[in-house]
Order: sequence, then structure tokens, then C-alpha cells
Amino acid sequence: MEIQNKKIDKQDYLNGREEILAAWPTGQGVSIEEGVKFQESLPESKRFASVLNQAVKEKRVLIQPRAGVALVDEHIELLKFLEEESDLLPTTIDAYTRLNRYDEAQKGIDKSRAAGHSLLNGFPAVNHGIESCRRIIESISKPVEIRHGTPDARLLAEISYAAGFNSFEGGGISYNIPYAKNVPLEKSIRDWQFIDRLTGIYQEEGITINREPFGPLSGTLVPPFVSHSIAIIEGLLALEQGVKSITLGYGQAGNMIQDIAAMQSLTELAHKYFGEAGFKDYELSTVLHQWMGGFPEDEARAFSVIAWGSVVANFAGATKVIVKTPHEASGIPTKEANLQGLKATRQMIQMTHDQCYFNIAELALEKEMIHREVDAIMAAVFEAGKGDIAVGAVKAFEAGIIDVPFAPAACNYGKMLPVRDNTGAVRVFETGNTPLPSDVLNYHKEKIRERAAVEERDPCFQMVIDDIYAISKGRLVGRPR
Amino acid sequence: MCKKTIVLGVIGSDCHAVGNKILDKFYSDAGFNVINLGVMVSQDEFIDSAIETGAEAILVSSLYGHGEIDCMGFRERCTERGLEDIVLHVGGNLVVGKMDKARIVEKFKEMGYDRVYTPDVDLQICLEELRADLKC
Repeated sequence: MEIQNKKIDKQDYLNGREEILAAWPTGQGVSIEEGVKFQESLPESKRFASVLNQAVKEKRVLIQPRAGVALVDEHIELLKFLEEESDLLPTTIDAYTRLNRYDEAQKGIDKSRAAGHSLLNGFPAVNHGIESCRRIIESISKPVEIRHGTPDARLLAEISYAAGFNSFEGGGISYNIPYAKNVPLEKSIRDWQFIDRLTGIYQEEGITINREPFGPLSGTLVPPFVSHSIAIIEGLLALEQGVKSITLGYGQAGNMIQDIAAMQSLTELAHKYFGEAGFKDYELSTVLHQWMGGFPEDEARAFSVIAWGSVVANFAGATKVIVKTPHEASGIPTKEANLQGLKATRQMIQMTHDQCYFNIAELALEKEMIHREVDAIMAAVFEAGKGDIAVGAVKAFEAGIIDVPFAPAACNYGKMLPVRDNTGAVRVFETGNTPLPSDVLNYHKEKIRERAAVEERDPCFQMVIDDIYAISKGRLVGRPR
Repeated sequence: MCKKTIVLGVIGSDCHAVGNKILDKFYSDAGFNVINLGVMVSQDEFIDSAIETGAEAILVSSLYGHGEIDCMGFRERCTERGLEDIVLHVGGNLVVGKMDKARIVEKFKEMGYDRVYTPDVDLQICLEELRADLKC
């Protein structure tokens, strides 16, 4: 399949959509015109892009959970339960729908009805169809985003937009590499160009639909420059198709200075690359995902991880934060709750004690590193694509220029290996083919050597495994037992 | 060291790859011949691979909550296809929502799994129990 980063002709999109809509009966008769009309009827308070813009202006951090269950009424009930404490709401899609297995999703719906509780891990929006989805939008007073993990989400997008959802997570890279096994990258990028084009068509009709590339990827020790490069590429691809409201994301890695540097540099780098490509007329916001790796089983400890993510989102100036569970409990503490407070405190202390001060010089250094890393990757991607970012992205994955650690996709190179340094910042341990400048790589190596010396062991795969499980076991850095 | 062949994979539409890569390394280091099918593996793919490689155990993972649906009928399917004696282990976040561990274990043992693990298990225990089940 040949792809290029070029705006899809509107008529070509409209000609091609019959086939998309025919994939499941609920797709029949989906009308963009009707969708625009329904979206126009929504008040500002239910418009995702407006609420985000307001937050950017006021420098507020908006709070958004993940949530989705199999049946419509139960899903509405769930969102209503979360509504007051959330600024933005989600509809998280189940894993069968994500793989376009609508017949299996249907079985999941039927079995959930029979069982009296949800057996699906999300809301199967395609199976429920437009009318049912609109009941969600009508029942909820806040903007609702579709959050999923679908390599080919063209039908889901058509149904969601027509139903009144006005933010849509995902992208051709970020919803392939961490979510699929055998989907060619050129196919998923092409399919997401169609979704971005549909977003652009709504935009031409005056309806801004927010698009959010998925920042955290595999959620496992992803160095900032890897996710930033992908976020910028997906942003460029979306802008080309006429998308105007973009939220770029990053998954909290754990070291506060690195995380703040990452969030700040994400905005700076996005403006730089979007501007260089000639785009000026767009709205940019950011999202921090609270720790996406393994959590402590103990709820009090989990709460501490959640709290740490909130601290970072705040200091990093994120527009919104995606929240992990459990939610904070309130009320006069029992003795049990008192104990939970102690545990939460311990978890926080153990995660922060390796990074006991907040140094501005360090922050500047981390930002400089991320800028240089992303510039090196982006230069290699543009070169690989001879100036075309879509072609470049595919070639960059083939060559390992972009390499996402611990991703399931066959089209991911899988040779780059990260590890934490002595302060918990994520560094590159095995370089693979990532074209980082040699002095930047030396910086990574030096940081890893510091940790190895403290732990009196050589850097090794066991160290990486220790890091992967560290937070679930109560600390940030996976120290030897 | 036990050099027997085992098949490893994440069942259904689940794409959680991290634990799978770690299990592969862990059991390989312990001496097993690990056939790792990776993520998104169907029941029949597990069985095909076990037949093809003469594996004596299938280790099924599920993290995303659909485990209950995906794992149903697997024991029967194994028997149907001639793998009457295959050892079946299952582990992960096996159901949607919080459920008492004992109930999860009971549920999956009733489905015919020999061992049922929740995410907090020490891998060393999994290894010892696999060795006991395979008598090696």
C-alpha cells in the first residue's frame, strides 16, 4: 500500500465511506449532515475543544477518568456517577470492537445481559449504534471523548461523530504499535488519515472535534523522545487532513524532573514542527497520563501512585490528566483509613526519596536532551521519507529509527531497551537503531553507570524487569532484592 | 533443568505484551523450550502450536478482563483435539472488576485449568508448580 502525507480529496472520502459503513448494520445510513446538526445542538459546556481551550487560557488542569461497560443504561449510570468529580468524561471502548470483531462484541453484550454485569472491558459503541450513543451525550452534562485502541477505527469514528462525541483518541501509529500484532503500519496510518479527514469535514461544517494521539504507547519505560516523536508525527498527519484541535499526550514515567521536562518540551517541540510545516491555525493542548504501568495491589499504595501523577500533571502544566483508580475517599477517617494514609505516605516517600530536590538547572538539562533527541529522530524520519512524514514514519519503524519498548506489533523493531537511572529517570540502555547523537547517548550511559555502581551490579535485562515491577512493589527504581 | 516444551501466549483480543515478554525470558532461563505465540492468540492457535511442537503445557495469560469469555471451553477444545493430558495454566487479571481471589481460582479450576494465578503471584511458585505438574 502506498501512502503519502497529503490531504484526501473530500469526494474520495465520501466515495469510500459506503464500504466503511457497510462493515456492520449500525453503520447503514450514518449521515455526516445529521451528525453536524446534532453536534450543532450541543451547548459549549459539552464541546470538548471549547472546554480544553478555556482550561489552556486559565492554566487549569482538567480531570478525566477512563470508563466503559457493555450496556447503554449501565454505561450512562457509570458516567453519571463520575460526572461531578470529572471535568471531561470518556467512553472507553471494549477490546473486541477495537479489533472490529463486532460479532464477538455482540456476544459480550448478550452474555452481559444474561450475567447481570458487564463482561466486556468497555462500551461497544458500534454495536449499540447512533441512537443509543446519543442517549449518552444527552444524559451527560460534560464533554465526552471516545477512548479506545483501534487500529482501524473508521466506522467507530463515523458513528461516534454522528452521535455527538466530539473528541476522539488515537492515531495511525499510537493505536497500532501498542494495540495490534499484525497490522501493517501503512494500513493503520492510512485508516487514521481517513478519520482525520472525517474530522476535517466536520471542521469545514463548523464543528470542531478534538483529536488526541495516544501518548503512553506501551506504558512501559517509554523514553520521552520516543513518544514525543510519534505524537508530533501524528499531529502533523492530522493537521494535514484539516484537524484544528489537537491534544498531545505523555505517560508519566515517574521521575518528576524528567516528566516536567517532557511535558514542557512536548508543547515547545509540537509548535516548532507544526510551524515549520506551515501550520498556524490550530489549538494545542496537552494530557498527562498518570502512571500506565503496573500498580500496587494495595489500594492505599495505588492511591499514592495516583497522587504522584497528579503532582506532576500540575507542575508540568498539563491541560488535562487521565486518572487511574481508585478515587480518593472522603469522610472522617476510621482506624483502617488512618493506616491507609500511612501506607500512601510511605509509597510517596519511597518513590521520591531518590530525587530529593527540585533543581532548575537539571530541568533545563533534561529539556535540552529531549529537544536534541526528538530533533535527531525527526530529522531521520524526514530523511527516510524524503520529506514525506507518512512515508518516513513507516520507514523509520522498519529501520528501528523509532522503536517502542515492549510493544506487541510485529512492525515495531523492538531492539531498543530502556532502564531507569539512579533517580528513576528513563534512559536508553540498549540503543538498537535509534539515531541519537553520540554525546546524548553518552549522557544516558553515564546515568545508567551511576545506578549500576550504587547497586553493585552491571546493567542487565534483570534490571529492566526489576524496573517494570518496581512501582507495583512500592518503589520507583527496581533495586536488587 | 527441565527442557520440556511449553506454549505461551496472551489469549483472545488482548494485546498486553510486557508480561508475556518477561514470562518468555523467565521460563527460557529456567530451561524450558518456550514457544511464545505472543499476544492475541486464539484457543485453536494455542492447540495447533501444542500439537505441532509436542508441548506438554499451555500457559495462558489474560490481562484485559475478557479472560472469562476467552478461556471458556478451552479444556473441552483441547480434549476434542486430542490433547487430553495437556497441562493448562492460566494467569493475569482474569475477570472484569474486582472479584475475590478464591472465587476467581474456583471459577477457572471449574473450567479445567490446573493452576490459576493472580497478578501478585511470585513467578518462582509458578515455576515450581509447572515443574511438579510436568514431573520434571
